[in-house]
Amino acid sequence: MERRHFLRAFGSAAALGPLLGSGLLRPGPVLAVDFNRAPFEAKTAADVLRLTGTAAAEATRDIFLKVPEVAENGASVPIEISSNIPGTTRLAVIIDKNPLPLALQFNFGPEAVPRLQTRLRMAESSRLRVVATAGGKHYTVFRDVKVTVGGCGE
Amino acid sequence: MSDPIKIRASIKGSEGEVRVLMPHPMETGLRKDPSGRIPPAHFIIQVSLSLNGRTVIEGALGTSVSTNPLFAFQLKDVKAGDRVGVSWLDNTGQKGSAESVFSAS
Repeated sequence: MERRHFLRAFGSAAALGPLLGSGLLRPGPVLAVDFNRAPFEAKTAADVLRLTGTAAAEATRDIFLKVPEVAENGASVPIEISSNIPGTTRLAVIIDKNPLPLALQFNFGPEAVPRLQTRLRMAESSRLRVVATAGGKHYTVFRDVKVTVGGCGE
Repeated sequence: MSDPIKIRASIKGSEGEVRVLMPHPMETGLRKDPSGRIPPAHFIIQVSLSLNGRTVIEGALGTSVSTNPLFAFQLKDVKAGDRVGVSWLDNTGQKGSAESVFSAS
């Protein structure tokens, strides 16, 4: 029993080690980015929403989300997101059925447009959600994306 | 370790568009390679973008971002000669950074 506890504690500390170390090496000055990595280790979208405090996000039409309806290559799914909600400071993307659903979380200073384009991996067909934060409130939009060939095995 | 970051900074009207390619394996630590081994997780966890030395966009990434991450961002009120910087940090503590200058279109 004692030994098992020790191993468990040691195991998790070893796994977190590189992340803790990297936290000390953060580059340059920071915005109000949440460097808590726990949401990135959550295994369900519900846990991601809970850990980021965005479970009560309100559905909106003011978030633009462009993603293919059918993605042929899950290893590289192009996505474009932007928020028309005044005062948007953060955008996050969650892919419900990926093993680790939180894909990214970006904070935007006043000099930046809350908009980004990138390419994401999708393990299988899944709901993809965007959560925007503006003035301490959270807003969300989602789209269901069909994936022909899953993208986590390559 | 990896190839240098590529940045393209262009001005459209009064807005600046920044396209960034960061060569990185983005290993999830979950996939098996052809020999059946599972390469350890090795992926970018933080990205930041600066304008004339001030951080303007900063993000945290997970393993769902594709290999060799490609991003496009937009900045307000940019003029020719403004400097844009990009830096990343991965889960093993490795870093990369690069700088470019907005040119008139």
